[in-house]
Amino acid sequence: MDPLLLGLLVALATIVVLFSGVSVAVGLLIVAAGFLLAFDGPRSLEMLPEIFFADLNSFTILSIPMFIIMGAAIASTRAGADLFEALERWLTRVPGGLVVSNLGACALFAAMSGSSPATCAAIGKMGIPEMQKRGYPDGVAAGAIAAGGTLGILIPPSVTMIVYGIATETSIGRLFLAGIVPGILLMLLFMAWAIYATWASGNTAVLSPRHYSIRERFEILPRVVPFLLVIAGVLYAMYGGVATTSETAAVGAVLCLGMAVVIYRLWRPGAIWGVLRDSTRESVMILFIMAAAGVFSYMMSSLFITQSVAQWIAALDVNRWVLMAVINVFLLVAGFFLPPVAVILMTAPILLPILQAAQFDPYWFAVILTINMEVGLITPPVGLNLFVINSISPDIKLKTILWGSAPFVACMFLAIVILCFVPGLATWLPDLVMGPA
Amino acid sequence: MSVPLTAAPARSGGNAFIRAVHAISTLCGWIAAGFTVAALLVTCHMIFVRAVLKQSTIWQTEAVIYLMIAATTIGLPYVQRLRGHVNVDLLPHALPIGARRVLALVTLAATIAVTAVIAWYSYDVWHQAFQRNWKSSTVWAPPLWIPYLALPLGFVLFLLQLLADLIGLITGAEPPFGIKDT
Repeated sequence: MDPLLLGLLVALATIVVLFSGVSVAVGLLIVAAGFLLAFDGPRSLEMLPEIFFADLNSFTILSIPMFIIMGAAIASTRAGADLFEALERWLTRVPGGLVVSNLGACALFAAMSGSSPATCAAIGKMGIPEMQKRGYPDGVAAGAIAAGGTLGILIPPSVTMIVYGIATETSIGRLFLAGIVPGILLMLLFMAWAIYATWASGNTAVLSPRHYSIRERFEILPRVVPFLLVIAGVLYAMYGGVATTSETAAVGAVLCLGMAVVIYRLWRPGAIWGVLRDSTRESVMILFIMAAAGVFSYMMSSLFITQSVAQWIAALDVNRWVLMAVINVFLLVAGFFLPPVAVILMTAPILLPILQAAQFDPYWFAVILTINMEVGLITPPVGLNLFVINSISPDIKLKTILWGSAPFVACMFLAIVILCFVPGLATWLPDLVMGPA
Repeated sequence: MSVPLTAAPARSGGNAFIRAVHAISTLCGWIAAGFTVAALLVTCHMIFVRAVLKQSTIWQTEAVIYLMIAATTIGLPYVQRLRGHVNVDLLPHALPIGARRVLALVTLAATIAVTAVIAWYSYDVWHQAFQRNWKSSTVWAPPLWIPYLALPLGFVLFLLQLLADLIGLITGAEPPFGIKDT
C-alpha cells in the first residue's frame, strides 16, 4: 500500500482508538501493534518489548520523575499561598496589585513546580477568594489563575519542554532558556488584560493599593526566599556546567523535599508518601505514554509513513508561514483533546523533518508549540485548569470561568503572533547564555 | 495533566479476587515509588562521588536508568488501579449507560489483548537474555536479564489488574470507565 494512504489510515485509526476512551498510552500501543501485524507480519511484534525498553533507556528520562517530585513536594505545602502573599505585600503599590501578584505568583510557582494544574490549585486556592473579596469580577479572578497556571509548562523547569527535548533530540537546557522571555511576555500580556478588564468592569476602586507596614513585608520573606534560592541553585547547576539536567533535577527534588520537611513541617510519613504516590502516578503515566509513543513512531517509520509524509509536504512547496499556520491549527485541535505530552510525542517525529526543511528553529518552535498547548489547558472540552478552578472555587460558575478565560486565550494567540514576528524573543537568551545553536 | 476528575479509583465491590489484585497493585505502587527514590539517592551519590571525591563513576548512571524503567513498568498496575492513565473520555461521557458498558468492554478487551502480546514477547526477550547470559556493553556490564525482568513482570501485573477491572465491569462492581454520574 502507498505509505501516504497508510499514513491517512493510521491517523484515522488513532483518532478512533483514542476517542474510544482507552488510555492514551495503550491506544498508541494498540494502533502500533495493529498496523505492524497487518502490514509487516506477526514477527514484527517480537520487537515491541525491546523498543519499549529502548525508549526508556536514557538517563535524560530521569529528569521527568525528578522534576515531578520537586513540583509535588512544593505543591503539598503552603508555599503557593506564601508566595502569593509575599508578592501581594510587595507589589501593593502597582495598579491592580492583587491580580498582578496572583499572576506573578503563578509564574514563580510555575517555575518551581513545572505543572499547570498544580500551579492553578496552589495559587488559586488563596488568590481567587482574596480577589473576589476585594471586588474583582469573578471572570477576571478565575481567568487570571487559569491562564497563569498554564505558564507552568512554558517557564522552566517544564516537563513538556523535557519531553520535547527528548522527542526531538534537542538540548533541554537551551529549551528551558528559550521559554523564559516568552513566559514573561505572556505573563505581562495576562496582567495587562486583567487590569484592563477590571478597570472596564467599572469597579476601579479595587485597583487602588492597600497598605502594608514594612514589618508585614519583611516577616513573610523567610518562608519564600528558600524556594527562590532553590530555583536560582537549579539554574546555576544547569547553566554553570556543574551538572546535567537529570542530576540537577534530582538535587532540586531533594532540596524541595527537604524544605517541605523543614520549613513546612511535612514530616509525617503519610504526607511524604502522599508526595511520592502523586509523583509516581504522574511520572509512570507520562513515561508509559513516552514508551508507547516510541513504539508508535517505530511503526510509522518502519512502514515508511514518517518519511513519505515529510517528503510529500516538502514537495507541496507551500509558503513556510502557511505551513506554520496549518501546523498550529492541527496542534491546537489535537491539544483540545489530548494532554500536551501526548501531542508532542505523537507529532514530533513527523513535524521535525518538515520544520527543518522549512528552516524553522526547533527551539523557537518549541515555544510556539508550548504556548499552543497551553491553549488546550484552558479551553473545553478537556481544559484541565478550568476544572481545577471549578473544584477549588465551586461558587464560580463553569460558564463564568470559561468566558473569563477566553480573553487570556486571545493573549496566547497574540503571543504566538508576536513570536512569529520577533523570533529573537525565544532565541536571544539561549544564544546569549549557551552561544549560537 | 492528571486523571480525569470524574473517574474514581477502581472499586472491589466485595469480590475477593479483585480485592487481592488491588492489594498487589498497591504494593506495586510502593515498589515503584521506592525505585524512584532509590534512583534519586543513587543520582545524588553519583554527584557526590564525581564532584566531591573527584572519582569517576561506573555503575550509577546505568543503575538509575534501570531503576526508572522498572519503576515505570511495575508502576503500571498501580496507576491503572487509580485510573491514572490519562484518556479522552468525551465519547464515554456522551453515551447512554448501555452503550458505554459495551464500549468499556471492547476497550478493556483490546487493552488486555495488546498487554498480553507485549507481556508474552517480553518474557521471550527476558528468557533469551537469561539463557544466553547477555551483558550490557558498559564497563559495569551487568547481566541484562535483571533489567529486562521488569518488562514481563510489570506487564503481567498490569494484565492482572486489567483482568480485575474486567471482572469488576462484568459483575457491576464498578461503573464503565469509572464514570459515576449516570
